[in-house]
Amino acid sequence: MCAQTETLDTEPDRGASPIRLDDLTKRYGEVTANDTVSFEVGAGEIFGYLGPNGAGKTTTIRLLLGLIKPTSGSAEVLGADIRDRRALTDVKADIGYLPDSLGFEERLTGRQVLDYFARMRGDERREELLELFRPPLDKRVETYSHGNKRMLGIVQAFMHDPDLAILDEPTSGLDPLKQDRMHAFLEAERDAGKTIFFSSHVLSEVQRVCDRVGIIRNGELVALEEIDDLLKRGGKRVRVQLAAPVDESAFVTSEMINVEIIDATVRFTYTGKPAELLEYLVQFAVEDVDISDPQLDDIFKHYYGDDPPAGAG
Amino acid sequence: MTAILRVESTKLSRSSLVLTGLFALLSAFFFVVFPAFAEEAELIEEAFPAFLVGLLGIEELHTIEGFVGGYIFSVIWVLFAGIYFAYAAGGLIAGDVRARRMDLLLSNPVSRESVVLQKVAALWVPLVALNIGLFVVVYAAAAAIGETLDLVSLGVAHLLTVPYLLVCAGIGILFSVTLDRVESAQAGALGLVFVLWLVEGLSETAPEYDWIGLVSPSRYYDPSAILVHEEYALGDAAILLVAFLALLGLALLVFARRDI
Repeated sequence: MCAQTETLDTEPDRGASPIRLDDLTKRYGEVTANDTVSFEVGAGEIFGYLGPNGAGKTTTIRLLLGLIKPTSGSAEVLGADIRDRRALTDVKADIGYLPDSLGFEERLTGRQVLDYFARMRGDERREELLELFRPPLDKRVETYSHGNKRMLGIVQAFMHDPDLAILDEPTSGLDPLKQDRMHAFLEAERDAGKTIFFSSHVLSEVQRVCDRVGIIRNGELVALEEIDDLLKRGGKRVRVQLAAPVDESAFVTSEMINVEIIDATVRFTYTGKPAELLEYLVQFAVEDVDISDPQLDDIFKHYYGDDPPAGAG
Repeated sequence: MTAILRVESTKLSRSSLVLTGLFALLSAFFFVVFPAFAEEAELIEEAFPAFLVGLLGIEELHTIEGFVGGYIFSVIWVLFAGIYFAYAAGGLIAGDVRARRMDLLLSNPVSRESVVLQKVAALWVPLVALNIGLFVVVYAAAAAIGETLDLVSLGVAHLLTVPYLLVCAGIGILFSVTLDRVESAQAGALGLVFVLWLVEGLSETAPEYDWIGLVSPSRYYDPSAILVHEEYALGDAAILLVAFLALLGLALLVFARRDI
């Protein structure tokens, strides 16, 4: 246990970045879950916190909320030092939190859960949110599907109109339609000046909604960049099934990297625009095309060095 | 800020009602046997092993006061209710932490101290339900078999269960903020309350080990003395209240500082 600093009487400075991490470190014995992580999230941006499962995303979020204490380093959330419990408690009125694993009082109905949280922090936007996300309010939470729990979680996270939303894998368990709705909602919130901290292990989701991205791997922040820069480097995984084997030199262009040709099947990462790829492919006898997002691990391998993940916890 | 208190109180209401019903039933059984029992009381008292007399604090069994104090209060309140409060308090925090309900709860602008205090305060539900329910049942049952109990003594006997049960709850909450598994916290708390009760009862039968019983909360609540002799040990009740506040303070200190 580290020393508790309870007498920090610095006034919260709301003008600064909503989130600022300063060499934030959390160790569990030998395992370093967060290793000197430093970055800032600016007001009015959607910041994507990207990393494979077990990389340390949830640890960072739980540190920011004061649920666990840092081993060393610090962070500020809405101007409150996370080691100053009282200041952090006060600013939570302006924070919305959607945890990765949602622990509700299972015996309560969805409506009772919302009433419960509303008494602690208000619910001026509850009705508006319930038109977008519709969990079955009159049923007990214990009967909820994963997706319904997630929707209830989204409503409670935003119903008090927070300045800052901290979302841990917010779309996991949602059907694609609801995911799109969530993405559009987050963009509208951002445009209204809200700050959103968004953790995910799904690259395409982060690419779609985030302005800036921090990539964490084995507890360390390995990249911090504008989403456009990441997009340029991200590329798409493509598999093309041709009618007959082709010659590599006749098929491969400079935008294709990591090309593998096995008989009539070609696999590669395409770094150009998808539309141009489709235009290019029509000249070949294509039987099937499969374009997908690259796995995060591939991106790490290609862009951030390929030392293997060492026992990510 | 009473949102947590309200929800926790509701959660405890069903088990409190069931428990009150069960204890009422048990008291009724005791009363049914009392008339036959009183006739043979002297024989029975002689036949009792000394340790049982010590455990239950039995005195004047042939009177209704001695019977209620030695049986109903000793068994139902000191033992069973004590265990229930330790068990209930043992489940207040550990379960929420384990199921990650605490993450969501603490994302509200509410301090950890307030969470613990509101959850402990919700124990007013079983405290009030049991005391009112059993007061009525015991008084009515005594009247039904043609006996009368002194209302004031009976009231004081009930009132002084409160500090005793709070100490049991204090033991429970301390286990609950310390241990990660709710089962361990509850088992540890109720086990400790049981062992303390046993140690105290046995220590009374052996004068040279009498001092061991000083650490047990049951030493400071003697229903037979209240009902039979009308001795209201308010000093002992104060000791129990101080012990409860100390346990609660320690639990707050631990919970405010730990990772969850």
